[in-house]
Amino acid sequence: MGRLIARRLLTAIPTLLAIIVLSFILMRVAPGGPFDGERPLAPEVRAALEATYGLDKSLPEQVWMYLGRLAQGDFGPSMVYRDFTVSGLIAEALPVSLLIGGCALVLASALGISAGLWAALRAGKWQDEALMLGATLLTALPTFVTGPLLALIFGLWLGWLPVSGQNEGWNWLVLPVVALALPVTGAVAKLARAGLAGELGADHIRAARARGIAPLTILRRHALRPALVPVASYLGPAAAALLTGAVVIETVFGLPGLGRYFVQGALNRDYPLVLGVVTLYAALIILFNLFADLIYGWLDPRMREG
Amino acid sequence: MKPALIIVALIALAALLVPPLLPYDHIAIDWDSVRVGLFADGHLLGTDDLGRDRLARLLVGTRVTLSVALAAAMVALVIGVAWGAIAGWVGGRTDELMMRIVDGLYALPFMFVVILLMVVFGRSILLVFLGIGFVEWLTMARVVRGQVIALKQRPFILAAEAAGSPARATLLRHILPNVAGVAVAYLMLTVPHVVMIESFLSFLGLGVQEPLTSLGILVNEGAEEMDMNPAALLLPGGVLVMLIACLTIAGERFRDRLADAAK
Repeated sequence: MGRLIARRLLTAIPTLLAIIVLSFILMRVAPGGPFDGERPLAPEVRAALEATYGLDKSLPEQVWMYLGRLAQGDFGPSMVYRDFTVSGLIAEALPVSLLIGGCALVLASALGISAGLWAALRAGKWQDEALMLGATLLTALPTFVTGPLLALIFGLWLGWLPVSGQNEGWNWLVLPVVALALPVTGAVAKLARAGLAGELGADHIRAARARGIAPLTILRRHALRPALVPVASYLGPAAAALLTGAVVIETVFGLPGLGRYFVQGALNRDYPLVLGVVTLYAALIILFNLFADLIYGWLDPRMREG
Repeated sequence: MKPALIIVALIALAALLVPPLLPYDHIAIDWDSVRVGLFADGHLLGTDDLGRDRLARLLVGTRVTLSVALAAAMVALVIGVAWGAIAGWVGGRTDELMMRIVDGLYALPFMFVVILLMVVFGRSILLVFLGIGFVEWLTMARVVRGQVIALKQRPFILAAEAAGSPARATLLRHILPNVAGVAVAYLMLTVPHVVMIESFLSFLGLGVQEPLTSLGILVNEGAEEMDMNPAALLLPGGVLVMLIACLTIAGERFRDRLADAAK
């Protein structure tokens, strides 16, 4: 277990480096920069600004400087939100995004796994067919359609829930989390159903049944864990889907999360902010993939060495 | 599979054939009838805040979304099949390295790289589908590689090799035709995925640009006026969800049928 973690973390470093360098170069070769405002700046002012942010140095030098500071946990200053550091902006935005994403992940896993298992136990019957059709429909619901739609129905028409921003209580979370969770729920349900249905047809389950072991015991002790392997392998992609969905959801519901900073930063060419967010996203996704591998090993002992 | 495909075909045909028959095109601005309701002045679905015909915009948007999706899926198909076939066919170290690259790319937050690409290199429609295509080929490569490796052991391939068929000919004449079924199934599953990504980018204002329109742009516009006119959100949103759902269902059925046939 320890060796798996160590090896994964070691291979994560070149991946992270690659994405940082790639994004860095992409942003710098782009035409237009953060100081191209409405009015052209005086050349001296521009030169001073560029010197402050290190933009006058060569590209490899800039990358090296950035990596050096990053190693100390410093994402640099934001170029557009003056007087703010990227680390400061991220520290403010990350909890919001993690809260929404975390709630959505829990909701989607709970609902998706229950629905999938229930469908697998009724494999071939109409309940199974109906549930799986429903799950496919759920996966087809883009967050940018469901977000505004939920806001319209439950916020504007029924007036049950707030549609924008945060408030003191918890109910501002409901609509963004539900909109974000819906497509992931569908995907999880399909994977859980496929996993359990496949497992229930396996020889060792038939043998257990033949020995007269109670169906519930078979399910709990023999079928459930391996059946959830496909769900665990979806954790990494699910994290990516939630982060991407959050970009839209935070824009639609006016929440100050990472996704909004990413889009704003990209449109403003706020290099350090965008790089910081991309780096963080990459690290999160790598972390989730590692997490998935660990759950994998727990669910299926054959995967532990490898 | 059939009803799903029929719905997709109907939507595609409507998007392709109906716009020329309409009295208004999707960019004609009609200042005399701004934001009119259904059936007013020959605008079947009314007009938006610039007096543009909503039906024409919906159909043209559907057409743009579908064409971008098809083009991007083709990019993914070409890269994925070539990559997977070479990896599976050559095997050994090459295979190991090529598949490691695919694994590595899978772990990247690709959506964000595509967003960066759009921001950096302007928002041309060509770049939209190239960018999406480069994201979407990974699954195709994995599936094709698996299929090629399975095929390599089959007697008819061994026979062809024993008969002295050169590697190129074996690959082109015997392997690729047998990969086609699986490739088509995954192509069908790639299209709805690409539809989703394209609309996502367009929704954020990073994808297709005016005067062209797409379902993502229409959903975005609709979301802004949904309190006054819910249909502006529901119609493009509905078409989008319908397309994605039906394409997914058809693709999955086709894939499962192939898998059953292989047993």
